[in-house]
Amino acid sequence: MADTMGHSATATRNTSVALGFCLLAIAPQIFEFIWSIGTIFGWGAGRGPAAVVIGHATALVAGAPGALIGAIGGDTKKTSSDVLLALIYSYPLFAVAIVTLFMTIRSAQDYVGGVILMALALFALWASSDLQGMRGFSFGAGTAPRMFGGLLVALSAGIALTGLLAEGPALQHYSWRGPLFVMVAILFFALAIRPLGLVVSAFVSFMIAATGSHETRWLEAAIVGACLTLGCAVLFPYVLGLPMPMFPRFLVQ
Amino acid sequence: MELFANLAHGFVVAFSPINLLMCLIGALVGTLVGVLPGIGTIATVAMLLPITFGLPPVGALIMLAGIYYGAQYGGSTTSILVNIPGEATSVVTAIDGHQMAKQGRAGPALAIAAIGSFFAGCVATVLIAVLGAPLTKLALAFGPAEYFSLMVLGLIFAVVLAKGSVLKAIAMIVFGLLLSMVGSDIETGASRMAFNIPELADGLGFATVAMGVFGFAEIIRNLDAGAEMNRDLVQQKITGLMPTRKDLIDSTPPILRGTVLGSILGILPGGGAVIASFAAYTLEKKIAKNPSRFGRGAIEGVAAPESANNAAAQTSFIPLLTLGIPPNAVMALMVGAMTIHGIVPGPQVMQKQPDLVWGMIASMWIGNLMLIIINLPLVGIWVRLLRVPYRLMFPSIVIFCAIGIYSVNNAPVDVILAGVFGLVGYWLIKHDFEPAPLLLGMVLGPLMEENLRRALLISRGDWSVFLTRPLSAVLLAIAAFLLVLTVLPALRAKRDEVFTESEN
Repeated sequence: MADTMGHSATATRNTSVALGFCLLAIAPQIFEFIWSIGTIFGWGAGRGPAAVVIGHATALVAGAPGALIGAIGGDTKKTSSDVLLALIYSYPLFAVAIVTLFMTIRSAQDYVGGVILMALALFALWASSDLQGMRGFSFGAGTAPRMFGGLLVALSAGIALTGLLAEGPALQHYSWRGPLFVMVAILFFALAIRPLGLVVSAFVSFMIAATGSHETRWLEAAIVGACLTLGCAVLFPYVLGLPMPMFPRFLVQ
Repeated sequence: MELFANLAHGFVVAFSPINLLMCLIGALVGTLVGVLPGIGTIATVAMLLPITFGLPPVGALIMLAGIYYGAQYGGSTTSILVNIPGEATSVVTAIDGHQMAKQGRAGPALAIAAIGSFFAGCVATVLIAVLGAPLTKLALAFGPAEYFSLMVLGLIFAVVLAKGSVLKAIAMIVFGLLLSMVGSDIETGASRMAFNIPELADGLGFATVAMGVFGFAEIIRNLDAGAEMNRDLVQQKITGLMPTRKDLIDSTPPILRGTVLGSILGILPGGGAVIASFAAYTLEKKIAKNPSRFGRGAIEGVAAPESANNAAAQTSFIPLLTLGIPPNAVMALMVGAMTIHGIVPGPQVMQKQPDLVWGMIASMWIGNLMLIIINLPLVGIWVRLLRVPYRLMFPSIVIFCAIGIYSVNNAPVDVILAGVFGLVGYWLIKHDFEPAPLLLGMVLGPLMEENLRRALLISRGDWSVFLTRPLSAVLLAIAAFLLVLTVLPALRAKRDEVFTESEN
């Protein structure tokens, strides 16, 4: 009884891991889609969301097999980067996800770590796929990235394999509160330093970061934040002579 | 004697009032930041890099060197008083040092750590001066093939000396190499993996990645454990700083052994201070008459690793100054600082800028002397600093890091990138990947690629050039030998033993 239960638990976990990998396999496409929403409001350049969805969908479903057949048929027409992304990045990861379903994962820490690292390597391979390769015996811009990218794919496959073959630690617990608020604080600081200046952005970021711990006492944090802001406002621009906007732009003008 | 003339010249430079002041400020600020738990040497140096930008080159490097030793010394203070090693190099110091502190002997522990470091620093300074000139000559015999092989050897060293799985360490190095290739290609100028983001065209800033992986990631991870972190800070007042005569006699041989071990390990590219302290501690435990004393407040357990890590910290300047190869992440940050001031580290620096090189070497000695003089009386202040609760400390560190990164290039994108690498670092920690080899790979990446390409261009695409040139072949042979040794089961067990030593 216990055995079967244990087995079904592994099965469900494997399914969720495989689903995670599928999501990872189309992560760049999703990211580009989210990014492209901005173009509606006129931020940034690039394709609109509709074009992104259609481009990637056709590449994932039809484009890649088509290119494959074309390659076999000796068609040397240049494949689009969407198709390349599907071929180089998404398909191998989908394959890994399917394989995952039938495997017993002995060390989730190594297996998942290895696969994510492999995803990064495959992504790097795709990113350097448009660069020039060897010209005679001289390296092109793309030779070294492709070389090390390929090496990293092999190494991370090795790591994933150890996760299947050898017993090891399970996945460690990730918490969300600390990372989230610290990242939001950093992001806010980056976006606010130019328009709002050091004083405002440092203080607000301090308070956002402080939210990352459940032990924060607000009054205390506000006082320390204010002192720190004051200290930084004196230290960086005046003592160290680093140019930095101090106050919000609309107040200065 | 050319050697003494050089050193004398260095001391003249270092003793100028302004440089003395730089050294003092560097050592003080370095200790101040190094004392904060959860900020290691790398994050400290990365964080304080911007404050040296406005200074003249010699002053800036002297200050950075001061920051480096200060951070290292601050790390050992934290580990002795609070049992939270501020950084990896003082992990082993915490084992016996904290026990001594609990027995009311925090004073002697700190004093021995300082004396050991100072002695090691003196020896290492002389060593740099002695080895500098001949190694520079050797460097002139180096072609691109040799440089490439030497860097391979360095990276293999980093693998051998890294904690945990060999495969993971190699993967981290390759990942670092890949990251170093983001940005413009050196030869063709083609933009690589930059996705048309203008800020990426120059490549990922080394300080940015270091701050993310070592600074932000560490903060996030500490928050995981709950900000309260069990800190058994030694509460009683620290009295009687001076060690007894017996302490001094007991710790003299360990200091000597630690210094020798540290000096050797520091020179090796990829080695460095962390492994030196581990190795020194293990050695002491092995040769001790009564090994059970270790872990219960043996003064040898403080003296040896502290001297070893300081010796290694200093001798790791040798490959940087002579060959232009940064042997570890801190040295890579130094390269960054030098480049900002228009200095290209390498064999020519010794000849072209004797002021800089010898001034820095002399200031290392002065810096160590200052640390011993300033820090012992200031221990009280550091203790008070350690009482600041983490819930207030971590947002301050976040803000300070963010401002620091922003001020390097005045680029908000750098801050965001550092944040992203913070998440990457958090992920690495969760999957038991070591971030140090990644950084080393990133540092050596551009140099390696350049030399590989050049070597192959000269040999007209013939890969055997790395084996037919004798020097290069020897270097590669050593690298292969080391790698085989590491994978061998018997040695692996030994290696794991060295690292688990620190965990109990």
